[in-house]
Amino acid sequence: MKIKEDLCIGCGQCVVVCPTRAIRLIDNKAVIDRDLCVECSTCYRSANCPSKAIKKEKLKMPRLVRNPFSDMMATHKLTGVAGRGTEEMKTNDVSGRIGMNEIGFSIEIGRPGIGARLGIAEKFTLLLARMGVEFEKASPLTALIIDDEGHIQEDLKNEMVLSAIIEFKVPYEKTAEVLDIIKKLDKEVDTVFSVGVISRVMENGDIPVCDLLAQKDFSVRPNAKINVGLGKI
Amino acid sequence: MTHSLYRKGSIEDLKNDYVIISMLARGINDKSPEVKKNHLRLGEILKQHNPTNLLLEAAWKISTVIQGCFSDIKDVREILKTIKEEDLGVSVVVSGLISEVKNVCDDIGLKMHTVNLALGEFGKKNLLPSEKTLEITTMCGHHCVSSQSVEHYIDQIKNGKISLEKAAEKLTSPCVCGIFNTNRAKQILNELTN
Repeated sequence: MKIKEDLCIGCGQCVVVCPTRAIRLIDNKAVIDRDLCVECSTCYRSANCPSKAIKKEKLKMPRLVRNPFSDMMATHKLTGVAGRGTEEMKTNDVSGRIGMNEIGFSIEIGRPGIGARLGIAEKFTLLLARMGVEFEKASPLTALIIDDEGHIQEDLKNEMVLSAIIEFKVPYEKTAEVLDIIKKLDKEVDTVFSVGVISRVMENGDIPVCDLLAQKDFSVRPNAKINVGLGKI
Repeated sequence: MTHSLYRKGSIEDLKNDYVIISMLARGINDKSPEVKKNHLRLGEILKQHNPTNLLLEAAWKISTVIQGCFSDIKDVREILKTIKEEDLGVSVVVSGLISEVKNVCDDIGLKMHTVNLALGEFGKKNLLPSEKTLEITTMCGHHCVSSQSVEHYIDQIKNGKISLEKAAEKLTSPCVCGIFNTNRAKQILNELTN
């Protein structure tokens, strides 16, 4: 994003809406910190700039990668889904993406609202690749992994995004190993991350992974996303 | 399209906050005209049951997702019951209290198929704003509602420059997905300014 200094009247509306606090008023003009700006376009869409001083710029790589990980209106070429995620469990009743003896994970670096450099994702992907997880092929983050060892494309590692989701699944018996990685990196990363766990529900209504999560000292929030099985092929 | 999983608040608070998301499966049923017609019908059903927010109708035809936000579990129940009765055959996800959604499913004869559980936040949590601020900002699935806009409107309300209703509307505007619960935002702002 760019703010045209000659048009800016210093109202500060863009400063307020910026999710990453990348815009400041300096000498009564709004100035974008290019390093902190994640190219989410929130200022462009929501600040209602009275002098139309906020402009979108034509982005080039590597900076271009910030946009699909930050702007919900940007549809990633790989997923076809607007935003930074995938269909994950939302269509699981027809896609069967997560099976009965599998557990899906979404580790979202930078959420909620802090942002992250893409290089932080590599701390996870290296450990996860070593244990042989199946990364979600349609995930925008998976597209940045360049080898079987889980390395992220080098020139993109310093790019700042609002959040990036590492999506993968494992056989049920490897769930504990993933939880150990989460505990290890909890103490090592220099931003926040949020974790979601996807499980099929047993015929009798049980969700067996809940017991394992409790054994490993993870708290499960009382609210969840629930696919109620209404989809048909 | 949106991440409604990480909404925050106490159990009592979350009793007034449900998101319904319906998504077509890419490469499976997203190209079927009949399924698309059923999907649009689902949008109409959402519209008829008191949504506090809803994806813009203009986007329904071009999107594989239709979603809305609701404050009353009774509306969620009626929506699911109608979709089941009309046998629309499209995938539906309810985001909300597990116990409440399970009760509704049991009541109308649905079986939960898959759950996405939230384990919360990890890492440098000292970077995060207050829990109450997060209750508002996490209602935008893509986190486009900034914590400083919450602080800004709290100040404005306290100084009598804006009403609670208007501030809640202003906070809703960056969330184009239609899942930011404007009613709940108003309630939280009320708590924070009294």
